This record gives sequence, structure tokens and C-alpha cells, in this order.
Amino acid sequence: MHTPLPPVIADWFARKNWSPRAHQLDVLSSWQEGASALLIAPTGAGKTLAGFLPTLVDLAANPVEGLHTLYISPLKALAVDVQRNLTNPIAEMGLAISAETRTGDTPASRRARQRSKPPHILLTTPEQLCLLISHPHAHLFFGSLRRIVLDELHALVTSKRGELLSLCLARIAALAPDLAITALSATVARPDLLRDWIVRPLPRRETRLLHASGGAPPQLEILRTMEHLPWAGHSSVYAHRELYAIIRAHRTTLLFVNTRSQAELLFQGLWAINDEALPIALHHGSLSVEQRRKVESAMVEGRLKAVVCTSTLDLGIDWGDVDLVVQVGAPKGSSRMLQRIGRANHRLDEPSKAILVPSNRFEVLECEAALEAVAEGHQDSEDPVAGGYDVLAQHILGMGCAEPFLADDLFDEVRRAWPYRDLPREKFDRVLDFVATGGYALRAYERYARLRRNPDGRWRVANAQVAQQYRLNIGTIVEEPMVRVRLVRGRGFKKGRTTGPIGMGGRVLGEMEEYFFGTLLPGDTFMFGGEIVAFETMRDNEAFVSRAQATNPKIPSYMGGKFPLSTYLAERVRRIMDSPEDWSKLPDQVSDWLRLQRDVSLLPAHDSLLVETFPRGDNNFLVCYPFEGRLAHQTLGMLLTRRLERERARPLGFVASEYALAIWGLGDLSALIRTGRLSLDDLFSEDMLGDDLEAWLDESALMKRTFRNCAIIAGLIERRHPGKEKSGRQITMSSDLIYDVLYAHEPDHILIQATRRDAARGLLDIERLGQMLARIRAHIVHKPLPRISPLAVPVLLDIGKEPIFGEGRESAMAEAADELLREAMGRD
Amino acid sequence: MNRSLAEAISDETPMLHFAGHDFEPLPSGGLYWHAQRTLLVADLHFEKMASFARRGQLLPPYDTGMTLARLEADLALTKASRLVALGDSFHRANASSLLTQTDRMRLDGVTASLDCIWLLGNHDPAPHEGIGGVCLPGLEVAGLTFTHEPRRGVAGLVAGHLHPAAHVRIAGRSTRRPCFVHDGRLLILPAYGASTGALNILSPAFAGLFDWPSLEVTMLGRERTYPVSPRRLIS
Repeated sequence: MHTPLPPVIADWFARKNWSPRAHQLDVLSSWQEGASALLIAPTGAGKTLAGFLPTLVDLAANPVEGLHTLYISPLKALAVDVQRNLTNPIAEMGLAISAETRTGDTPASRRARQRSKPPHILLTTPEQLCLLISHPHAHLFFGSLRRIVLDELHALVTSKRGELLSLCLARIAALAPDLAITALSATVARPDLLRDWIVRPLPRRETRLLHASGGAPPQLEILRTMEHLPWAGHSSVYAHRELYAIIRAHRTTLLFVNTRSQAELLFQGLWAINDEALPIALHHGSLSVEQRRKVESAMVEGRLKAVVCTSTLDLGIDWGDVDLVVQVGAPKGSSRMLQRIGRANHRLDEPSKAILVPSNRFEVLECEAALEAVAEGHQDSEDPVAGGYDVLAQHILGMGCAEPFLADDLFDEVRRAWPYRDLPREKFDRVLDFVATGGYALRAYERYARLRRNPDGRWRVANAQVAQQYRLNIGTIVEEPMVRVRLVRGRGFKKGRTTGPIGMGGRVLGEMEEYFFGTLLPGDTFMFGGEIVAFETMRDNEAFVSRAQATNPKIPSYMGGKFPLSTYLAERVRRIMDSPEDWSKLPDQVSDWLRLQRDVSLLPAHDSLLVETFPRGDNNFLVCYPFEGRLAHQTLGMLLTRRLERERARPLGFVASEYALAIWGLGDLSALIRTGRLSLDDLFSEDMLGDDLEAWLDESALMKRTFRNCAIIAGLIERRHPGKEKSGRQITMSSDLIYDVLYAHEPDHILIQATRRDAARGLLDIERLGQMLARIRAHIVHKPLPRISPLAVPVLLDIGKEPIFGEGRESAMAEAADELLREAMGRD
Repeated sequence: MNRSLAEAISDETPMLHFAGHDFEPLPSGGLYWHAQRTLLVADLHFEKMASFARRGQLLPPYDTGMTLARLEADLALTKASRLVALGDSFHRANASSLLTQTDRMRLDGVTASLDCIWLLGNHDPAPHEGIGGVCLPGLEVAGLTFTHEPRRGVAGLVAGHLHPAAHVRIAGRSTRRPCFVHDGRLLILPAYGASTGALNILSPAFAGLFDWPSLEVTMLGRERTYPVSPRRLIS
């Protein structure tokens, strides 16, 4: 039974002709009965009100001073939006409740005032929370806190920001004795884990798992194209005309793609046929903030017919009257798909409508798998991640800034954060040692210690400068080094290096990763902000570009996006292939392709690994179909080429796609396997993750990229300093040097350990590779063929479009050295 | 390029001809002057990471040891009887007092074994305290002038300071490595220290120093050095 609402709030509902929803009242009674709650609810279920109703009810009955409720959102913009949605009802109810945001944009004066006289409700981000708890007076600030509302928790817990947030929660739980947590989440695969995540900091508080009743099931279909379905590639050009017709037929369409370059290409393609000049906009992370805000407000005002966007619009804010979501390209996972679909139609009782547009034949299978998964309501969201040492290091320094601590106490507190629940004491001590003096075996830095021990054994920050450095380097988001892209007047390109002056000034189009420009020569064209531009030059950390006449730009290479194909969808794709009786639901082009594969080779079975070998041109190919995502395949490719080289199969290179891996070389692989000189079971044996992996890691640039992130988060490298902001290039360069020096002398250093752990689940995806190798152990099916198989066509077509990797053992420098040598020869 | 040809070439030491003298560029970034039995190095930046540590960034304290190891190897290889360091040998003034006991002993071993000339640099403008060898603002030998900072207008000037690197793109692949660069009048050595970064020779810091048509660039490889055509340079 629910307690009745206070009259002011009940009247407000009555005036609006609304009644509170069951889950909103469930959250309220959880709070009133002293419990925490995890509310799982789809978009449009009135989550915001559910989250704040207990606060409004409590403060309406007992108006007290001080901070009552803290709201944490993954997005600054979401915090601002929620604050707006909250102040209206508060005003309409006539309640004297203050609700304020605190973000990086909040003026210093207001932040100072918020610390001395906090509002009842503070809406903020995990980073701001870190700043608040590292303040020496944190215990006063948080002492009155009763509630924490965690919004979009599913999105936070899979990242390092979630690790940092968990540590903050463990601390606040120690500061605020009356605290209860309300977490809001989209539907996830493992709600029990998410619940446990909020239980850990408050182990004695009952925590309820609440579900909002699901809305109408989504209407989801795959675009049935009349056009030729491409074998490979990610451009979806074939579907542009059909998409245009679909956009015309709907009120407002959101078109999601997986990468920025796909967004650029789709946007350009739609405008090329936009005879009616429909208002179609573009939204992705590289566009300038002003440009994005313009698109967002036009969207909210209902002035746009369609927006082409990347994951920048995955979360949060209500974009008004969207009646169709289109996913162009692979959906990657069913949970991700469901959330994107949820962006259409924020009314619970009406079904959201979505269309999937595969960009090649393999993606048809992936879309089909996603369709089935969504129909069954199956979730494949990532589980919360275990805690990294880099994030822990940052937190320990912050705790030293707050007040002196005993290592034993802090260790216990840290273990109340879910990601660190199993942290061994030995690792904690090493991280603490790293924070204090660098953690080096050569104890050279005692005199520069950042944390020192008081006579009573408590650790404290050594001086105010260290505390200031901590505050300036807070957070876990490490941007790739970016450069501003500025449009200038072109100078035309002659052969050779141009030295003449080029036009200065011009408009900033946005930002792009610096490494992209490292691959460009002056005059190269690419697409940016929906225009084709030519690279002119780099100057003072800006890339100058000019409008280009070209019609065929050199498009940024497809970087694969951040999200690999989920294990669950991969499994379903394998099952679809393995079930010819179900092929009737596939487009004819695709089922014919699979039939052809069955006739000339084999179909990959769902419980084994198909390996095909065949000659082609001067080379011999080995193609396998693990369906484990590009990152895991790249790692597999690196390791297999090393082994093949050792077996004298003379590999030359490989290319990896989301579904398959192709390796080619000079040795006759079919013959080597037939005669028993090469064993596929040995080749794919799990022990490749031992010494071979180690040997490769020694040289891998991916390790250096991962190290840079860890080093910045852990506070070894500063991200900025007052008045002398480093350019991205300087940070990259010095972090590589630091890695080289550290790896050479202390390969077991805690930061190298942190780097390995991150690489294993990040850029190298070793975890997933290991699971795959275990699954297919003794289940490898070899099919020697006289020629390429139909299934191998897509991945071989990727050669030339995707990065190709050379011999495993030769480092990139040695290859480049050969090139240099050729150049030297040509000159002599 | 086939491998046997590559090996055939790498047996032959590429030489650097500058202002009428022959030098051997080493892949470490050192330059060996056979005629004078002199090893030239620039920008060692000893104790750079320790200097960061003073300001609260506790970078690994191993860079000085790595640079010393490099130096010991080059001295053993070349059997030089004189070492000329072209300034910025220490990252900070008075940094010699920061040396660990081990590094100090190794450095003493080097200075005791041959003539050491430490030219002063902008990072270490005053003579080093307690380090063997002599500290000088500049040096002239066999018609060549040695100094830390490069400048135009002096024929046969050998300098460091700028940490030159070449960025080239060949066959779709780009590589950026420290390099020796000269135009027949001015020669700039790459930075030698394990903790030093590098600056593209097309960047504004090099503007006006070189006569571009006469430019010669030698990049550092892993095992040897590689002359490259200035046409290949990219920014």
C-alpha cells in the first residue's frame, strides 16, 4: 500500500489530469521504508519524476536546510535538461525547494556559494562529484545528504567513469549516514549485477529492484531493398534513394550510424538527392559545439525532417517528435538497438518504430539476428567493469586532498565500491605507493612525495600544489589529441612542397583526431561537416582546409566504431547460418549467397570454427570466421602470423573484419595442413595468449596508446596546467617515451599492469579472443578449396579498404626502414 | 627492395659529409668524427624525468641511466678519445646534484676515461658542479664551430638545441624519426637523451636557418641511419 501523497503534490497531479504511475509510487515507498532502489524503465516512462518524487514529498513535509538530494548524470546536458524539467513542477507546486546544476560551466562564484550554502537538490556529473568529495570540508557538505539519484546508470557502469563514480559513492556513504540510493537504468542483461553495484557502498540498506511496466513492443523491420546488396563496405550508398523516400514519409526521422565517416557519407548522399530541400541535419562528436547546439535546438523545435547522427544522440535528452528511428549499418547489439529505437516516440503506450538498413550481406544476417533478439526482448548489454588501477590512483590522491587517511580504512572503503570488491591488498598498497612516490623499485623520489605520512600513520597530500594538480587533472575521459579544422581560402596545389602563404582566418568547422592528419598529404581531400575539403597544412595545432572541387573525396578510413559485435548477436548470426530452414526470411540475394557457400565449401557451424584455405594469385589464403569483432580478429591475426612465420608458411599480411579474418602468404597452406606439417589445432591453441602475446605486446603501438590513457588518469602525466596547456602532440610524444623507459626497466610496474588489463579488454580484446579459442578447441573444421569461397569474398574485398597488417615479427619501423632504404637507393 | 640488397648496403656505413669533413652518423643520434677521434652528442637532458618529479609528476627515474648506457655503448664502439656534448646535457641548472649514486658513478666513469667538453646550453647555462671535464660556451676545432644554439651566417657551425626530426611518407606509410640535418654550412644534431622528444624540421622553429635546395637529411633507424630526400618531407 502506498502512503498518500502530500496535498500540494496530489493537487498538482490532479490539476494536470495525471495520476502517478505505479513505479513512481514504488520508488517513493522504497524510500519511505528506508530502502534503496534500482528502477529499470524504458525511455518515456517518467523516470525523472520517479527519481525525484521522494525528495519532493520529503521536503514538502519537512522543509530543512542543506543538501538533500544529489543527482548524477553521465551528460552535462542531461543534468541541465533534468533541472529544467524539475524546476517547473516545483514552481507549479509552490514548493520552496532549490534545485541547481553544477558542471564545468558553472561560474566559480556560484560553485563557491554552492559549497557554503548548498541547494536542496544538486544536479551534477561524476567528475564534479570527485571535486566535491576531495574538498577538505566534504564531510560538512555531505553530512545532511539523504538521497543520491543515479541516472542512466547502465551507461556509466561500463566505463572508467563508472569506476570513479563507484569510489565516490563508497566515500559519500561513509560521510552521509542516512543515505539511500535510487538508480535509474534502461533495461540491461544483468539487473542483479546493477543492483549489487548500488548495494555495495550501503551493505546494510535493503535495495529493491523495481521494473516499470514495459511499453508497447517496438515495431522493427529490415529495409527490403530493391537494389543490389553490396558484398562488403559500410557506405550504404545503395539505400540512399530508399532512405530519402522513407524520410519524406515520416514526420521526423533519426538516422543512427556507427562512425563519423559513415555519418558524413550518408549526410552527403542524402543531400545529393534532396530535390525538395528537406531540412536534414548532421550531428556528431567532431562538429563544433555551436553547430551541434544549433541542430539540437532546431530538433527540439520540430524544424527538422531528419538528423543523421552517431552515438552522440544515444542518451538522454528528449528530442521532441521523432516518429522513426533508422539504424544504418550493423546494429552491433540488441540492447544498444533497443535504446536507439527508444529515441523514437517518447509515449509509452505507442510502439516505437524503427528500420534497420544493413550496409552489406553479412550485416543482413546481423540485422536479422538483432530483429529476433529485440522481438524476444533479449538484452546483451555489457556488464559493469572491474576497477582499474589508474582510476584508483586518482581517487587515492583525491582522498589525500580531502583529509588524512589510514591505509587500512581507505582500503576497506575502496572495497565497498563494486568494481573494487575483490581488490587484493597488495595491489592497493602498490597503487598507494605509486601515488605517493611513483612506485618505482629505484626509490629516487622520496623527497618529491605527493602523499606523506603523519606521525600518527595517516597519509595526507604533501602540499597545496599537488592538490591543485589533482583538481586540474580530474576525471577519466581522455580525449584523443585533437586539432581544430579551419576553413581557409585554397592556394591550389602544384607538385611538390608548397611554401607560399595561404589565407589566414576563416571559420572553424570542428575538430578531428590528430592522427588522421598524420596520414594526409597537402591536397588530399576528405569529407568534413558535410563538405568535401582539401587538406592544406598544419599550423599551430590547427589543420587548415579549403573547399575542394573534387567529387570523389578521400574519405576517412572506416575506423570500425567503438562497439564490437556483441557475443550474443554473433552467436545468433552463427545459428542463422547454420539453419538453412530459416533462410526463407532472408533476402534472396543473401540466401542464394549462403546456398552457394554450402555447395562449394561449408557453412560455419554455430559450435565450431570453419577454416578455409585456397590459392589466389601468387598467394595462399587462410580465411576463418570467428564472428568475434574486428579488435579480437586483429589480435588473432597478429598472433597467427607470428606462428605461421615460425612454421615457415611465410605469411605476408592479414585483414580483419567484424566477422572474419583472412591471412595470406607464400606457403601452400592447404598442402602444409594435408601433410601434417601444420596443425590447425596447434595453430589456434590458446597458448598463443602466452609468450607470443608477450612478444607482440613489446612492440605494439596499441599498448602505448593505452598507456597514455592510464598515465593521464593515474596522474603520472598532466593533462593541462594553468596557463601552459600542452598541445596534444607533446603529450603523445612524451607518454611514448615514458612507456619505453618504464617498460624497459620495470615491466611489472603497477601502471604497466593497468595498461595490460585495459588493453586486454579494450583495443586488443584479448578477453573475447580467449573465450573464442576455448570454445573452438578441438572443433576446427578445415576446408581446402581450389579457389575463393563465396563467404570469403567480403573480407577479401576489404583488402585495400581496411588497414592491412604486415608480418607480425617485423616491427613497423623495420618496414619503414626498408622503404627508406629503397628511397636512399633511388637517390644514389 | 630485396633483403640481401638491404643487407649489402647496411654493411657499408653511410657517411655524412659536411663542410669538408667526414662524419659517421650513429643510429643512437651520436656523430663520430674519425679524424679527430671525437664523439659528438647533443641534448642529453640528463635528469629530465627527475626534474618533472620535482614539480609533482613522478616520471620513471630511469632516463639518465638509459642515456648513459647509450653513451657507454657508443664510446666502446667508436673508441673515441674525446666527447663533445653540444649543450643541454642536464635538463636543469644544478641537476647534477640530483643524480642517483649509481648514475653518478657511471658518469664519473665516462668522464675519467676520455676528454669531455660540455658546451653550455639554455637548460644548463652555468658550468656543472662536480662533473669531470670542462664546461665551455663554445668550441672551434679544425675550422668548425661548435655551439648549442644554431644560427645563420657562420660557415661550418655544428649545433643541437632544436631536436630535429624528419617526417616522411613513402608508399602510403609515414614515419617520423629524429634526424641529422645540414645544408653544407649549418649542421644540427638530433637530441641524444632517452627522454627527449623531437621537432619536425618543417616546423617554424627551423624557418630561415637552412638553405633548402642544399638540404641533406639523415634519419635514425634502429640499426643504422638512412639518408632521405628532402622532397619526401611532410609536415
